[in-house]
Amino acid sequence: MATTEPDVDWHGDDSSVNHLRGRAFEAACLAATAFGLVSVLLLLLFVANDAFRPLSADSGWLLTYAATVLAPLAALAVYYYRLDEPAGEVAYVTSGLPVVGVLLTGGFAVMFIELLSILEWFALVTSLVAAGGLIVAHGRLRPNAALERLVVLFGAPVVTVLGTPPAQFNWLVTDLAAALGVDFGLYHRVISLREVLLRLPYVPTNWLLLLGTLVAPLAVAGGVFIARRRDSRRAGFAVVGATLVGALAGLVTGPALGIGYGGWMLLVAFVALPVGIYVEGVVRRREGVRGLAFPVIAVLGVAIGSVVVDAAGFAGPDSWLDWGFLTSATSRTAADAGIYPAMVGSVMMIIVIVLATFPVGVGAAIYLEEYAPSEGAMGKFVTLVEINIGNLAGVPSVVYGLLGLALFIRIVQWPQGSIVVAGLAVGLLILPIVIISAQEAIRSVPDSFRQASYGMGATRWQTIRQVVLPEALPGILTGTILALGRAIGETAPLLMIGAAASVRLAPNGFFDVASMMPRQIYSWSSELEPAFRHGVLAAGVITLLAVLLVMNATAIVIRNRYQRE
Amino acid sequence: MTQNEMTSDDSTDSTAAGTTSTPDPSGEPLVDQSIEVDGTDGGAQAGREQVIEARDLDVFYGDVQALQGITMSIPENQVTAMIGPSGCGKSTFLRCINRMNDLIDAARVEGELHFEGKNIYDDDVDPVALRRRIGMVFQHPNPFPKSIYDNVAYGLRIQDETENLDEKVETALKRAALWDEVEDQLDKSALDLSGGQQQRLCIARAIAVDPDVILMDEPASALDPIATSKIEDLIEELAEEFTVVIVTHNMQQAARISDKTAVFLTGGELVEFGDTQSIFENPEHQRVEDYITGKFG
Repeated sequence: MATTEPDVDWHGDDSSVNHLRGRAFEAACLAATAFGLVSVLLLLLFVANDAFRPLSADSGWLLTYAATVLAPLAALAVYYYRLDEPAGEVAYVTSGLPVVGVLLTGGFAVMFIELLSILEWFALVTSLVAAGGLIVAHGRLRPNAALERLVVLFGAPVVTVLGTPPAQFNWLVTDLAAALGVDFGLYHRVISLREVLLRLPYVPTNWLLLLGTLVAPLAVAGGVFIARRRDSRRAGFAVVGATLVGALAGLVTGPALGIGYGGWMLLVAFVALPVGIYVEGVVRRREGVRGLAFPVIAVLGVAIGSVVVDAAGFAGPDSWLDWGFLTSATSRTAADAGIYPAMVGSVMMIIVIVLATFPVGVGAAIYLEEYAPSEGAMGKFVTLVEINIGNLAGVPSVVYGLLGLALFIRIVQWPQGSIVVAGLAVGLLILPIVIISAQEAIRSVPDSFRQASYGMGATRWQTIRQVVLPEALPGILTGTILALGRAIGETAPLLMIGAAASVRLAPNGFFDVASMMPRQIYSWSSELEPAFRHGVLAAGVITLLAVLLVMNATAIVIRNRYQRE
Repeated sequence: MTQNEMTSDDSTDSTAAGTTSTPDPSGEPLVDQSIEVDGTDGGAQAGREQVIEARDLDVFYGDVQALQGITMSIPENQVTAMIGPSGCGKSTFLRCINRMNDLIDAARVEGELHFEGKNIYDDDVDPVALRRRIGMVFQHPNPFPKSIYDNVAYGLRIQDETENLDEKVETALKRAALWDEVEDQLDKSALDLSGGQQQRLCIARAIAVDPDVILMDEPASALDPIATSKIEDLIEELAEEFTVVIVTHNMQQAARISDKTAVFLTGGELVEFGDTQSIFENPEHQRVEDYITGKFG
């Protein structure tokens, strides 16, 4: 059948439909995206180059590591991407888990070195567990005594962890005592279980405490996880046993490796245990086993590379950002300068921020989303509050610094530049962000869940506790972690509350004066010697960005994990 | 039956009216129906207790009146269907029965609605306690994102009735005709079930706490025909133990499963209420006939 092209004019080849503006707009949007990304990437490359100075190494050094590490890993990555995606996932997790584990180990190691002795850790954990036990036991024994429960909820931590404040600060008690004509003395107070433990005349040795309060609970958690997944108690016990034996081996191997038994035990608990469980699962399922090659080849490559480099006598790069930079304090000479005390300061500040903003922010969000009326005078007030929270999120950080200065230093009289003041000032800064993101997360819980719960005769509290919060938690956590990422990089409030320009010793308590990473970087930027401004500064920036990256990655992992289910 | 005893204990004029009415099973009580709609007399149903009685019930959303002077009584252990075009207030009335409208700030209820002789809009009524006696199944299946087991156990747990939990969950799933399908996957997420299974799970969740009344808001409208017929069979079985009040868009469904039918028409009026058979075969009002025969709506 012969067909001829029919002579119609509707199909648009006479450009009756104009796509030109649309295409131009699309191209402009693409250009804007590319410009933003490329310029940030260029800046990062520039700073990274300053920090690591890879070109200061012998070309032999670079070529050796390129051949032993980069080339094989790149080839493997291409292979996974093209041919074996499950293996790629396995490679990703087996490389990521040890990194996260080592970071956790580092965090705990720093905590034990700077903040708490192992005995203090033991006392704290034991008394926290005791408080939890008291609360749970009360709930079991008297499930319906709601008021009593509230008392226990707040009383238990006081009895076990805090103790009552000294009578000197406890106005009510002193006034009462004065009225009754009793002299309590200055430091009369009820001490807590924690303090009792600290004063015990005989305590087990440190390694036993560490094993009992840190390794054993994690081992048991891993064991329970395996026992449930495998439906076999024996497998669970095997995990616990292997972990404890592995940790105990540290009494010999730790000192031999120069990391002490503590470092070994932490590594066993935070790195070996999770990696072991994951790898064993992969091998058992026989899915993506080839992904295990990635970390093995990475380690092998580094080992072979270092042997070759040693043998041939190639000199490595003269990086500013090296182990010494991470573990030493700042110095007058650029080559010796490090960021360690500022890093500890930043981490402690983050702890204060989390403790201060998370409960307040999430509580406010829950009230605004679940309880606040939308009608009437109260409804108008709530709308006003919500608008103002939005505005507060946009208030410049220097203003929050000023607020912190006035509130915590001038009025409350806490030490200038101390960690608690820094944490609370920056905490106020991110509070609106935490509230808004938690509100978003709570709002995204489908209303049908609430309806179902109320329809079952649940109270509002039961609905929030058992339906809304579990569903909103991943979103709340993601938002909070991103807000913390902002907090750790804030500089202006730290300047306003007088955080130290640079300190030689890491802080040992929350009322110590400290410097934080951005504050330290800022001081380096005004040093006269160019090596500080170009090298040390860049190394500090890269460290800060690495911490930020880890936090954001955590947020993304949490979000993805819960989206999948 | 405990309910009968309870109602007769604090017997009000409404239950008295219900019990003293003519003992007529079902057939041609057309006169009674029209009287009832006019609100001049209580429900005249043969030998059945009236569990729920609305008296001159008005509902407003802000300035808009959604229900106008509804007076009707719903008999025990029967299926009462409410039909009518969209926006006629039938869902609103359903949600008045367990005070779910309280959750909407703009909603305002006037008039009285008695459950077992007690006005549920009295100040001393706790809507939470009321909802524990009057369960609800919604239009779209809305199981919690928890395991199947936890879904059914939810109501029992919030009421602290955790003794023999496994047994009660099993019973509820069996009564909802779901047990055979989920027996060995109780730990699986409820969201992995099909739509029809999810809806039967929601029914199991509602009956696990052994309520007196189950309200169903178009429970099959989001389901395919096979799942729908399973739900319909289930509803008929449930009516042996529970009082079922169901809102539906589907007139055939109402005709198939209900004992009594209430027809709401636009403007939030209850136009006709009576035995299903008579409503469908011989409606009193021309508007109802037009609606049922598909001339509008």
